[in-house]
Order: sequence, then structure tokens, then C-alpha cells
Amino acid sequence: MAEVRIEGLTKYFGDTCAVNQLNLVVRDGDLVVLLGPSGCGKTTTMRCVAGLERPTYGDIYIGETRVNDLEPRERDVALVFQSYALYPHFTAFDNIAYPLRLRKTPKDEIERRVRDVAEMLGITHTLERPPGLCSGGEQQRIALGRAIVREPVVFLMDEPLSNIDALLRVYMRAEIKRLQHELGTTMIYVTHDQVEGMTMADQIAVMNEGTLQQLGTPSEIYDMPSNNFVARFVGSTPMNFIPGALRKENGKTVHKSDQFVIPVGDEMAERAAELCPGGVCTLGVRPEEIRFTMDDEGANQARVFLLEPLGSETILDIEKEGLLLKVKDVAATRVREGDVLSLSFNRFHLFDDQTGAAIR
Amino acid sequence: MAQTEARETATTETVPLPVEMAVQERRFNLRKLLVVIVLYLAAFWTLVPMYWVAISSIKSLRDLAHIPPRFFPTDPRLDAWVTIFERRILENVYNSLVVATLATIICLVISVPAAYAATRMRLPFKFVAIVVGLMGLVALLPPIASAIPLFLLGSDLGIIDEKYTLIILYTVLNTAFAVWVLRGTFMDVPMDVEEAALMDGDTRFGAVRRILLPLIFPSLFSIAILLFIFNWNEYIIALYFVNSMKTMTLPIAIQAQIPQHELDWGVVSAAGTIAVFPVLVAAFTLQRFLVRGLTFGVASGQ
Repeated sequence: MAEVRIEGLTKYFGDTCAVNQLNLVVRDGDLVVLLGPSGCGKTTTMRCVAGLERPTYGDIYIGETRVNDLEPRERDVALVFQSYALYPHFTAFDNIAYPLRLRKTPKDEIERRVRDVAEMLGITHTLERPPGLCSGGEQQRIALGRAIVREPVVFLMDEPLSNIDALLRVYMRAEIKRLQHELGTTMIYVTHDQVEGMTMADQIAVMNEGTLQQLGTPSEIYDMPSNNFVARFVGSTPMNFIPGALRKENGKTVHKSDQFVIPVGDEMAERAAELCPGGVCTLGVRPEEIRFTMDDEGANQARVFLLEPLGSETILDIEKEGLLLKVKDVAATRVREGDVLSLSFNRFHLFDDQTGAAIR
Repeated sequence: MAQTEARETATTETVPLPVEMAVQERRFNLRKLLVVIVLYLAAFWTLVPMYWVAISSIKSLRDLAHIPPRFFPTDPRLDAWVTIFERRILENVYNSLVVATLATIICLVISVPAAYAATRMRLPFKFVAIVVGLMGLVALLPPIASAIPLFLLGSDLGIIDEKYTLIILYTVLNTAFAVWVLRGTFMDVPMDVEEAALMDGDTRFGAVRRILLPLIFPSLFSIAILLFIFNWNEYIIALYFVNSMKTMTLPIAIQAQIPQHELDWGVVSAAGTIAVFPVLVAAFTLQRFLVRGLTFGVASGQ
């Protein structure tokens, strides 16, 4: 068990910069999710930790050891691949036993440990079969078993759940998290699925275009996104963005857009004046933070053009002068398509249009 | 072979409703029948010459000269076989076996790592492209084009009429081809599987030996058989480099039966039959592995 420290990691492929000046500390025993769209450098980062790629610049420490020049096998790190990368010519048993055999573990101990792991993962019945004859979920567990069996200091997971069906995925992500808690092993988990990130992580590192956007707990990432990229990427119903600018009206600061006039609190107005002198900024508000009343009296009126019932809740799609907003409401909503609502904005964020950074 | 193929197309295409299946089965049977007929015709077309050589070796002179030609010998005899063994054909068989086997093995020993490097190492792109391109060019060159310069080189070095010279030359001439084919095979194995082995604690060499090579073994075996057949049949280079019984390979030995005394078709046919035999055996083994090689990728976990 160990801490993983990434300092100034930069990786070029030819002229393409895959990872740029990444600093990240994964505390011992933590599960850190590297979250980002494809091509954001998360997998490259993980492969550098694994030793499958060499950093162009920067250092990687596992525990106290600088591992830059160590071969993968010298790092005591286990990796679960997106494709599982099982050995098709071995049985499941031999797949799981392979790391132990390479370490010259005594035969009876291999037998015992493989059986233990298989039992823990519920795949004892597959042990004599080649992976090709196992279901996707079973293959996934075999791959997990192969990683767990040798008790590495760090687990690396490269989108391990992206190849199994949605139902099983929900179940497996809890299972992986439980395993990680039980074993207490540091884990770096790469995914582009923000739900996976939110549900599993102790810490989420959101990446985009090779740079770290924000590191924080799931609730920090959700409630206090550091910039508009993070805000956009996290949240299963995406955040609403309203472009506009800050203006003074009757001594009060408001965010004025083509569609709405939204009052901004004094505290935020002060910081905005400081951080974003021009005042040109986009207002971001999560669907659950928009309140509405069903009258046509108040300010900020808009028309509902579509209802999306999700069973547990309903998403109202609201349109005003080319701007689309999504608003969350209870399942048994009284709103009907075509209704006009008055909106009020409960908690929102302001993002500087020039830098994209959150004003706070 | 024909049957397996037909069965496979049938199973992949008759997925729909079970009710319709009986009807479909019948329609496919007609198509299957056509396929089988065509395959039998092709087999007939290729096998008849072999049959002809084989029976010619046991025909009497009268049968051989008979017009119209006789499909079944009326008076089979083993004279030609006696003659060919008296002319020490087994020594030629031995030479051919030694040369073809060793050249095949050495060629694989060289081309497997070369093809591996060409697919797996992150070399500057153009370097690989140029080298592999040049190798392709060599593979396409007709052997006669290099035979004469090679002969001049060989006589300068004084290594004409040696078995090892033939082994070296066959190795060289086949390596380009082998690297090309192997490269394709290696590219079909996902990098993941090998990297998984590295992560599990294996060395690069160990990952290749324990994971990659076993995975591509069917293809590797097919390539080996092909190389062996090339070497076994090789004639042009051997024509230049063989001077005596010490090195004489089978193709040269067969040709050597022709001008001595009068042309004895029986003897030539007997020699031909001997030459075809290992190729036939190889082809049958190859076929089994080709089928296996095709179905092997199923378990790739994707």
C-alpha cells in the first residue's frame, strides 16, 4: 500500500501533448477517479503510472520510490484493462494464477489464493473454462481477480466497466468500491463516465486536453466547479448555461442576458468586479437549482416545450428566445407542455467568458 | 474442409425464426450442393495430375506409350521404383529435408523478432515503412534475377556446392516474405494482452514467449509449413549451386533423371511421386491449422 505522487508529468507523442504539467497526489488507500472526455490524457497518465509509457518530463513516485525508470514488473502495480486483456489460451484459473506463477509462488499457495479470490468475486464455477466461454461480467471478474490475487500496492483501472451492460455496471461499480475499501489498496480509476466518477471516488481529478481541471471530492466537484468545463462535464442532467454580462440596475448587480435578468448577490458581485472587470460572464445553474412558479406575473418567464418523465423525476425542457434550459421537477409534476413559468435561480455559478474560470 | 465451411455459413445465416428454419435449411442445401460440386471439380482438376504422376511410376512401358492414355495401369510393375532407389534418390530426399527444414527454422528465428519489432516497437514511422517496404520488394523479386549475381558471389567465396550455402540462401530469400506475413499476424493480437503480461510481472521476452507466441501458434505453424514447401520445391537457386550428389536436392535430382540414357517416364514419375509426398502431408496438416487459426480469435475478450 502506498501513496502515488505525480509531479509535473508531461507526455508528448511526437508533437502532440497528451498530458501537460500534471500534479496529483493520490493518498494511501484512496480511490481517485481520473475523469474526462476521451483524449483528455487520463489513460496516458495512468499508463505512465503503470510503466507502460515513459513520461517526457516529470516524476512519478509510488511510496517513496521514484519509479520513472522502473519496468512495470518492478512497480508492483496491477492494471485492469478496458478490454480485460485476458489470456485466451489459458483457463480462468491460469489467468488469475499467472502473476503468482511469475513470482514463483508455491503451488499449493497459488491454488489456495486463486480459489480465495475466485470465491470473493463469485467466479469459482468459471475457473476451469477459457475466458472465451465466460460471459462479459465473468470476464470482467476474472480480470479483477488477476489484479487482486497478488496484492499489489496500487490498483489501476482503465475504464473497466465500459464493456458490460448498464445494469451490471451499476452493480459492479459498487462491488469494485467495496473491494477497494476491504483491501484498503490505493486505486486510480480512469473513466469518462461522470456517474461512475461521482459514485466511486474519494477524490475526482477532472482532466481536459492534458491538463488537470480540478481535484476534489465528488461534492466539491459538483457544487463548486472550478471552471465551465468541469461544470459542463459533471452532472447527469447537464448544467444550464446562460451567456450574458453583469450590469448595475438600481444599485444592484444583475446578470443580464438576452432572455433573463438575474439578481447577483453582493458578495459575488464584489468578487466578480475584482476577477472579471469587463463583467462578461456566463451564468451556470444546475437543473435542480431553478425554482419556478406557475403564474405569468413574475420576471423571467419562459415556456415549457417538452416534458421528459424519468420515473423518479421529470425534466422540464424550457425555451426562451433560442435559449434552452432543463429544469428538474418532481415526478408528479403539474406542469404541462406549453405552460408559461416564472423562473427564479436559487444557486448559480458565474464563469468568466475569457478564461472559463469560475468566479468565486 | 468443404463440409466445415458449409456448416459454418449455415449456422451464421440461419439465425432467424425457428419456424422458417426448415424452409431456409432446404434452400441453403441447394446452395451448399453447388458449393460442394464446385469444390469437387476444383479438387479433381488439381488432383488428376498428381494421380497421373503416381500411376505413371508403376505403368509398364506399353501402358505409358499407349494411345489413348490409360487411366488404370493394366500391367503394374515396380521397375521404375527399383531404378530410382538404385540411383540413390534417398540421399536427395535427405539433402532436401535437411536444407528445407533448417532453412525454415532459421528463417523463423530471424523473422519472428524482426516482425515483432516492426509491429511493436515505437520506431520513427518512416524507418519501419522503408525497411518493410524494401523487404516486400525483395520478396517480389523473381529468384532468377538474384540467382546469377549470387552464384558469382558464391564462387568468389568458394562456397558453391555446399548444403549450408543453400540453407543460407533460402533463409535470406524467404525472410522478407516471412516478415511480411508475420507482421500481419502480430498486428492482429491486441497490444493489451501483452501489456497485461508485463503488468502481471512478466518480462518483455517472457510475455512474447508465454503469451504472444502461443496465441499465434496456428499462424506460425502455417507459415512454417509454407516456408518448408517453398524450400522443398526450390529449383532455380539450387540449379546454380548444386554440383554433386553431396548437395543435390530433390527437384534437381528429378531433372537429372531426364537426360541420362533414354527418357524414362516411369523413373521421372517415381521421383516426382516421392517429391510430392511430403508436400501433401504438409498441406493436410496446414489445412487443419488454418481452420484452427481462423477460429482462434474468438476468445479475445472483446
